Amino acid sequence: MDNLINELKLKIIDSLNLDGMTPEDIDDNAPLFGDDGLGLDSIDVLELIVLMERNYGIRLDSPSKGKEVFRSVAVMAKYIAENRTK
Amino acid sequence: MTKVYCIGKGLVTPLGNTVEEVFEAAREGRSRRLFERDGFSGASFFDRIAIEAAQKAIQGIEITPRTGLVLSTTKGNIEHIGKADISLAASARSIADSIGIKTSPIVVSNACISGIAALLQGVRMIRSGEYDSVVVVGAEVHSDFVHSGFDCLKALSPEPCRPFDKDRRGLNLGEAAAAMVLSAREGEWEISDGVIRNDANHISGPSRTGEGCYKCLRYVMEGVNKEDIAFISVHGTATPYNDEMESIALYRAGLSDIPVNALKGIFGHTLGAAGILEAIVSMAAFEKGIVLPTKGFSEMGVTYPVNVSAKERPAGGKLFVKLLSGFGGVNGAMVFRKGGAQ
Amino acid sequence: MKKEVSIPSGANLTAIYRELVGNYPKFFKMDTLSKLGFLLTEMLVGEEEGRFTPREDRAVLVFSRSGCLANDLNYAKSMEEEFPSPALFVYTLPNIVAGEISIRNKYEGETSAYVLEKYDRPLIDAIVRQAFQDRITRDAIVAWIDCPSDSEWTALAWIETKD
Repeated sequence: MDNLINELKLKIIDSLNLDGMTPEDIDDNAPLFGDDGLGLDSIDVLELIVLMERNYGIRLDSPSKGKEVFRSVAVMAKYIAENRTK
Repeated sequence: MTKVYCIGKGLVTPLGNTVEEVFEAAREGRSRRLFERDGFSGASFFDRIAIEAAQKAIQGIEITPRTGLVLSTTKGNIEHIGKADISLAASARSIADSIGIKTSPIVVSNACISGIAALLQGVRMIRSGEYDSVVVVGAEVHSDFVHSGFDCLKALSPEPCRPFDKDRRGLNLGEAAAAMVLSAREGEWEISDGVIRNDANHISGPSRTGEGCYKCLRYVMEGVNKEDIAFISVHGTATPYNDEMESIALYRAGLSDIPVNALKGIFGHTLGAAGILEAIVSMAAFEKGIVLPTKGFSEMGVTYPVNVSAKERPAGGKLFVKLLSGFGGVNGAMVFRKGGAQ
Repeated sequence: MKKEVSIPSGANLTAIYRELVGNYPKFFKMDTLSKLGFLLTEMLVGEEEGRFTPREDRAVLVFSRSGCLANDLNYAKSMEEEFPSPALFVYTLPNIVAGEISIRNKYEGETSAYVLEKYDRPLIDAIVRQAFQDRITRDAIVAWIDCPSDSEWTALAWIETKD
């Protein structure tokens, strides 16, 4: 699971152009959205939906489902481990 | 300030190529969003429909060395990306040459409010005194490029769109061309005011407070008596956020009780053509004394009250207001006043 | 004398951003056109007093020949790769750069993008004068940013004030 979490953080940094960030800068359990965490927005949600499909073969049909899954990196990793098709 | 009038109109749409035909379709709730392209063999379908709409609009109107051209579009010939010169300026040149315009063409590409922005540009050109008339053409054609983009934004409805409805699921894309000729010479419709304001909030999400749209309404209401408004033709894309935003802006402007209608259930979202197409159809509705039905609407699905109906209603008044909002945080409003009415 | 600023073609935009701004991570999500407009505006208004107070009296008017062609090509490429990118698609409109400038600086006035056949300064000046017909607009950030690719561009901007 730790490997998946680290891999996921690298992919998030790359796909959302989070300049200068490293996996260590992202807390496993911190919220990804809103002002407290990474401060991601609605376009980032859509980009994460693409990331899930491209890398793990997981289709999320709506941004609202996305927001549930993208609560934190830990929640995302758990969801990927349970649902991945590649 | 110089009064500016619409002295010519032209439509090329999947529902017909005359104002009468298209208006009747909208009145009867017939919808068709895409053209049959059978037999089209030219280089650019976009240029062709834009030129046809412009030619219809200028019938009987003299093009002088001081006639201007303003093109409104978001993506022009994008379907040919990588294969041809798809620049919007090249399309504007081809339209200008086809109808004999000698001044430099201007393209206004302001996302989904391009139609209002282009009409406003035309109005200002007339007021500057440097142009005898201005042909304003709005056009958009369907492309895989735009379709895939709205698809990945999860903005497309899998069913016919339902503006302001509680079960609305997004927009449908449409294609059309529409044109108006503007002049200081008296015509049946005066374009008496127009405005653009930015939410300064987000590039793709509408403002949660309807900031820019509210500011547009506030601006145009400075010159309008509320009792004179026959109806407001709203943007009404049927995405969850747009329609909610418009309800908030109308409420903040004290206009919740004014009849509104949305035409996207008929034409789909025609992007750069929408402002001019929907204004021309609204002119026809006003002249028949009706507010067109909002096809797709059935049960109220926005937080603030909006006076919208699935049925045709009688309208009285001296003018109507057209609203649009779009990516980049832009909002636009324009007032169309029936000739001479003060 | 009117202040006019420019960014040489092919300049390192990240380096300019780090020197002038440094604390606006959304910069890295922008397309080249928006980055250029964003930085040109920083060069124009960076020292302005009362900056970031919301204002409705300043317009943002962006002109070009190529619109957002560079980013259109990037998005078209992402379409071929089976997973089109929503973050690229939202920049496939020539007016997004004006939106980014507005968001950064809280400019709630008019914003517009115009495409012309060439850099025609008299025509640009005429359109800007016409924009001052708006009853609230007092001045405007005006930019010519022609960016046909991510490595070559013409980028200049100035502030025009209503007479």
